[in-house]
Amino acid sequence: MVSHAAARGTVFALRQKIAKIEGVLADRLAAPSNWPDDAGGILLRHDGQAVGRGGPPLLRTGAASLDAVLGGGLPRAGLIEIHGSQTRDAGAVAGFALALASLLLKERAAGPLLWIGTAGIFSETGFPYLPGLYARFGIGPDAFFFSGPDRLQDALWIAEEAARLKALAAIFLETGGTSRRLDLTATRRLHRRALQAGKPLFLLREAGLAEPTAAPLRLVVAPARARPRSTLAGPLVHSIGPPSFTIGIGKSRNAASGEFILEWDAAERGFRERRQEDHGTENIGAVVSASSDRPHPAPAARTLLAFPNVEPIGGKENAPHRQPSREQYKTHRSA
Amino acid sequence: MHPGIEIAEADPAADRRLIEGLADWCDRYTPLVALDGEDGLFLDITGCTHLFGGEKALLDELLARFFHQGFDLHAGIASTPGAAWAAARFCLSAIEEGDEEEALAPLPLPALRLDPAARGGLESVGLRTVGAVMQTPRAPLARRFGKLLFLRIDQALGRVEEPISPRLPAPPLAVERRLAEPVGTMEAIERLVGLLAATLRTDLERRGEGARTLQLTLFRVDGAVSRIAVGTARPLRDPDRIGLLFHEKLAALENRIDAGFGFDLVRLSVLSLARFEAWQADFSGEDASEEERLILFADRIRARLGDRAVLKAVPVESHLPERAAAAVPFAGRAAAYETTPAPAPQGEGLSHMAKYPPLRRASRATSPPLSWGRGKEPCLAAGASSPPSNGGEVVCEANRSGGRTSYPIASPLWGEDRGGGTAPRLPERPIRLFSSPEPIAAVAAEVPEGAPASFRWRRVFHHVAASEGPERIAPEWWRGDGSEETRDYFRVEDEEGRRYWLYRQGFYGEGPQVPRWFMHGIFA
Repeated sequence: MVSHAAARGTVFALRQKIAKIEGVLADRLAAPSNWPDDAGGILLRHDGQAVGRGGPPLLRTGAASLDAVLGGGLPRAGLIEIHGSQTRDAGAVAGFALALASLLLKERAAGPLLWIGTAGIFSETGFPYLPGLYARFGIGPDAFFFSGPDRLQDALWIAEEAARLKALAAIFLETGGTSRRLDLTATRRLHRRALQAGKPLFLLREAGLAEPTAAPLRLVVAPARARPRSTLAGPLVHSIGPPSFTIGIGKSRNAASGEFILEWDAAERGFRERRQEDHGTENIGAVVSASSDRPHPAPAARTLLAFPNVEPIGGKENAPHRQPSREQYKTHRSA
Repeated sequence: MHPGIEIAEADPAADRRLIEGLADWCDRYTPLVALDGEDGLFLDITGCTHLFGGEKALLDELLARFFHQGFDLHAGIASTPGAAWAAARFCLSAIEEGDEEEALAPLPLPALRLDPAARGGLESVGLRTVGAVMQTPRAPLARRFGKLLFLRIDQALGRVEEPISPRLPAPPLAVERRLAEPVGTMEAIERLVGLLAATLRTDLERRGEGARTLQLTLFRVDGAVSRIAVGTARPLRDPDRIGLLFHEKLAALENRIDAGFGFDLVRLSVLSLARFEAWQADFSGEDASEEERLILFADRIRARLGDRAVLKAVPVESHLPERAAAAVPFAGRAAAYETTPAPAPQGEGLSHMAKYPPLRRASRATSPPLSWGRGKEPCLAAGASSPPSNGGEVVCEANRSGGRTSYPIASPLWGEDRGGGTAPRLPERPIRLFSSPEPIAAVAAEVPEGAPASFRWRRVFHHVAASEGPERIAPEWWRGDGSEETRDYFRVEDEEGRRYWLYRQGFYGEGPQVPRWFMHGIFA
């Protein structure tokens, strides 16, 4: 890399010019030929320096058209805003962000997730619930912790301190409505720190209006009707299939917009884009119920192969048919 | 009555507070301060006097300081609590060791801390001084007045050991700094904490231990004492980190600590210790691993925002959804060291277990579900029950129409070893759970057991477009008073695609009341 300041400036200007000619963003210009080809020839630059040397610079959602519109995928580091238009959509907003984090953890178990929300938003939209997170996104008890301070400024302080830590895989900061505290300056601080630590910070705004923030990307998430579960005999009417989200792009450096309906497939641990011709879903579950009250019950219909690095909750020796030991029994009772 | 007399009502509670405040202040002389009745204090100054230049100097300084604060008091020093008590009450400032008998002999009987009945009895037989009692043969007196009389004498003379019961436990380690010029600014206090922590480090290293609970005691010039405690998730020695924790705590308390004219004594004590695992550092200079940074981060948040500011969800073996995950303070990934059990949830914290009325008593009064000590992982399997017909997999029409008695109730399905397969069959659970289920008005619910066609929640009408269920979850009959009702859970999706978890409490046609419906969680 050119180290001299003036020379660097010249390189920047040249790069901008080339980017303009080629019609792409300057920080996503094609990688030089000697660069390892890990992201389809895209090299992410930040402040003129190449970033993401450790892995592919962008997180691919797996939905091809969404990735294309985002210019290759979501940034792996920095602030990402995820909006929901109403507080009722909190399930979809949080679900989408958790799905993105689950994609990150699928590649590399980089550390736990931290979910920060004000106590108000937690009591209004519900506390994170571990069995659901585990069943749907493969996020186990060791991969997740959360914090619910009473005031937004405390939540912001925690987020700023957490954004520096490299040990966290991703941070969620959840707020409701709009607040003056979460202005351009505050979000820029969050963004810079998350960039430096090289991890994403998802800013979840329930019932928030689009405000000027430092986040380079804003996605607007709304729930979408889930398709029915598919069985051998066709789709099962009135059943609820995998969770689906309607993703709109509120702000993006590529200036492209669009609306996409994505489905989260827990078995594959990945997104799937829904097209008009799709009706049934595959690999959803057993058609007939497995017997459970017999001495030799039938094996489970499927195994979640996509969660290889997550231990079953409680560990192998703590399968539920085993009684808690005498020492544990008291804590079981009192829990 | 005299017209100029000023009358004040007796206020024992205020007296008590005052004497406790004085006891706090006396902590500057010794950590072992005990209350004695309503108007006295015992100070165990064994091993502390050299810091003040001897017993006499200590006594003089104490009396002078109390005098300047406006208290008139008597103090006595002796080698036994009983003799010191007598010395203080009968104005003998100091009794040398061995002189107790001689010093006590001329004193009247109250010097022996006797109850009035025994004292009256002794006086009625002509024994009016301690010396007279000591010279009388013991057996007849003991038979008539009880053994307490001679126990008191033996205690006063040091023949029987008498412990005092200090108000506060003596810390295993404490370092303090006396200041000629009082300090009042946060920066100065933080600097002092750094200095004290550096002194503490050598002691901790010698013991091979680290601090788990630290307390900073600030003695104000005018006698008020502030105590600030921080806890750590891992044993701690590093002065910088200790300083950082107190920095957060002081920042949170900034408006609540009144520095007044300044603090003239600052003490840093270690209230609890744990074995310190030493790790070899590498040459990169980064001695702290990422995990340790994370724990320090959690400690700092806890120091600033309270013990339940950072929580970790741990699975609990229960099939009730609200009990299947408990929130405990975060302490890193694996806690392979000796820990004290985390304190029980206080008040309305983030614990979403604490708000269910039938469970409240049990879950409040006891400690959280897991103790993380002794190298065990959090070792509970989450329980979840579901009828096999709809355990997150599929809903069959045949089962919907089946009678409700056909559902097996509460069969745990997490990680069940089904033949050769070990894969858990995970039931559908919401990703967000309300801390207390919110009542909804369900319209046109299918009787006896079906999902509602629409419902009103938070004043908004939702039309149900698809539903799955019921999943029957019975209450835990071994807990509570058995008044809880069975719930039937439904996954429903409204017309815009929001997915909710509803339940019906109770059954139709059983009892006079129509079952009520609740919203319990939100799906992704």
